[in-house]
Amino acid sequence: MSLASEVAESSQHSGGAAARGSREPVNVLIVGVGGQGVIMVSKVLASLCQAHGLQVKQSEVHGMAKRGGSVFSHVRFGKQVWSPTIPKGDVDILLALEWAEGLRWLPQLRAETGIFICDTKRIVPPFACLNRRQGAPMRYSRETPAEVIAHVAEAYAVDATRMADELGNERAANTVLVGALSTAMEFPLADWERVLAEFVPRKTVGVNLEAFRLGRSWIEEARRTAPDTSDPQGQGLAAAVVPSTVRVEIEAQWCKSCDICVKLCPERCLRLNSERIAELTDPAKCTGCRLCEWLCPDFAIRVHLQPAAAVA
Amino acid sequence: MNDPIVLEGNAAVEEFDVRKYIRLQMMPHFLCPGCGHGIALRALLWAVHELGIDKDRLAVVSGIGCAGRLSAYIDANTFHVTHGRPLAFASGLALVRPDLHVVVITGDGDCLAIGGNHFIHTCRRNLKLTCLMLNNEVYGMTGGQVSPTTSETRITTTTQLGNAEPHFDACALAAAAGAGFVGREVTHHVPKLKDVMRAALEHPGFAFVEVMSDCTEIFGRKNDMGSSPEMILRQKSEIRPSAYRDTVETPFRPNTLPTGVLMCNERPEYGAAYRQYAQTVKSAGDGKQKRG
Repeated sequence: MSLASEVAESSQHSGGAAARGSREPVNVLIVGVGGQGVIMVSKVLASLCQAHGLQVKQSEVHGMAKRGGSVFSHVRFGKQVWSPTIPKGDVDILLALEWAEGLRWLPQLRAETGIFICDTKRIVPPFACLNRRQGAPMRYSRETPAEVIAHVAEAYAVDATRMADELGNERAANTVLVGALSTAMEFPLADWERVLAEFVPRKTVGVNLEAFRLGRSWIEEARRTAPDTSDPQGQGLAAAVVPSTVRVEIEAQWCKSCDICVKLCPERCLRLNSERIAELTDPAKCTGCRLCEWLCPDFAIRVHLQPAAAVA
Repeated sequence: MNDPIVLEGNAAVEEFDVRKYIRLQMMPHFLCPGCGHGIALRALLWAVHELGIDKDRLAVVSGIGCAGRLSAYIDANTFHVTHGRPLAFASGLALVRPDLHVVVITGDGDCLAIGGNHFIHTCRRNLKLTCLMLNNEVYGMTGGQVSPTTSETRITTTTQLGNAEPHFDACALAAAAGAGFVGREVTHHVPKLKDVMRAALEHPGFAFVEVMSDCTEIFGRKNDMGSSPEMILRQKSEIRPSAYRDTVETPFRPNTLPTGVLMCNERPEYGAAYRQYAQTVKSAGDGKQKRG
C-alpha cells in the first residue's frame, strides 16, 4: 500500500490549491497561440504527475489552431479524476503563453484561490488588424498587466519571451513559464528537470533547463517583492496607436504610365488619368502602405505619412 | 516638419527619400516603362540609407547594358566601365581603397557571359565587394538576344523557336566558385530585397545578390507575359524561399526559385590578406635597403 500512501501524499502537496483538500483533482489550464508549445507544456506536466503515481487526464484543442490560432490544454491530476475537462470557474492554475489568450480564459479561473501566470508576449491575430491604415488602432486587448493583476487573487505577468530571448532561444519561453508553474506545485525540482529534458529537443536541453530555472527564480523573486507591473510592451502598443494622415506626391514628369502602381495598389485608389499619368483617385481609401512608392521603377511616387495631430 | 517620423516598429531613423541619393538632373531615367531595374536601384539606395553609408564613401561600378546604366543615376562615386569588366575594375578599387563601400551593378549578360571569367575569379578571391546582378533573362539594350540566364523555351530575337539551351543558375555558380555571401530576391518584394542587399553590404567578403528583374518591353512582350503589372505579379508564383541546398540539387530551375540569403560564410577576405602580405614584403624590402 506504499503506492496509495504516496499518491495521497503527493496530491496533498501538489498544487497551490492543495489547501482545499486532497480529494479534488488539481486543474491546470494551459493556453496560448499555436506554435508556442502549449501541448509540450501540458505533456511535461502530465508526465510528471504520472511519474508521481497520480491519475492524469488531459484534453486539448489543437490542429486547426496550428501556428497562429488559439490553443488550450486541460490537465487534471489527483487521486481520482473523472472528467478530462475542467468545469467553468474551477481552474486552479491558468498558465498563458500569450497575453490576450490569458485574458480570454481568465473567467475560467477559480475566483478566490486561482493562480494566473501569463507571458506578456503579444501575438496580434490578423483579424485584430482589419483596418489597414497606418497607425490605425488594433483591436487587441488594451488592459495593462497592472490592471489585470489587480483583479486576480494571485497573478504574475512574466516577460518570458524576452527572458528566453536573452538566454539565446526565444522558443524556450514556454519553459520559462514551466519554471514559473513549478513554483505553484510541490513536485521535487529534480523531477521537473528530468521530465523537461525528456520532452525538449535534445540540442536545446541546456537552454531549456536554464530557462526553467530562470522562470522559477523570477516567480520566487516576485513573491518576495511586489510584482513588477511595468510593461514596456504595453506602453509601446499605446504609443503606436497614432493615427496618421497620408499624402501621396506624384511627380508627373517622371511617370512613364507603366501601370504597376494602379494594378498593385491593395486599395485600388490609384488610376492613370487622361494623360496616362498616375493619380490618386480616393485619398480617403489610401492606407499609406507605400507599395506604390516601393514598386514605382521611376521614383515618381512618394508617400508622406504624418501624425494626424501635426496636420490638424 | 523635418523631424524624423517614428512609425510602428521602425527605429527613429530619418525616413528614406530616394531623391537624396539620385542625380536629379539625370531624371527621368532612360529605363523603359515598368522596368524592374528601377525598383532594384531603389532597394539598393534604401539599404545604403539604412546602413548610413556616406555617399562619398560609396563607389558604384557598372558595366554595359541596361543594368550598367544605373550607376549614372546614383549620386555617389560612380564608374561606368567596359563590358564585362566591372568586377575587375571594382577589385582594383577595393584593393587600393579599403575604406570605400564598392558596389558593382551588372546585368546577366555583363556578369555571366562577357564577364563570366571575371565573375568566377572574383568569387574565388572573396574580396570585400558587393555585386548586384540584375537578371532580366535577356540582352535588353541590344534588342533582346538570348542571354546565359534565359529560361528554357523562352522566345528571344535569336531564339525564335524558343531557347533550347539550359541556363545558368548564377547563385549556384557563385556559391560553387567560392563567394562568401549569396542571395537572391525578386523585385516584387522590395523590403525583402532591401534586407538582402543590406546583409550583402554588411558582409565582410564578396557578396553576390541576384535580383530577378523584369524586362517588360522586350522579353515580356515577346513571351506573351503581359505588361509590367502582370509580370511583377507573376514573380510571386515563381519563387520559393528556401535553403541553399535546393539550389545545388536542382541547379536548372524547372518552375520555382529559392530566394533569400542562400549562403553566408566567413571565408577569409582577400583584401586584408593582400595588405598584410604587401606589408611584409615592404618591411622586408626596407630592411634590405638599410643593410645595403
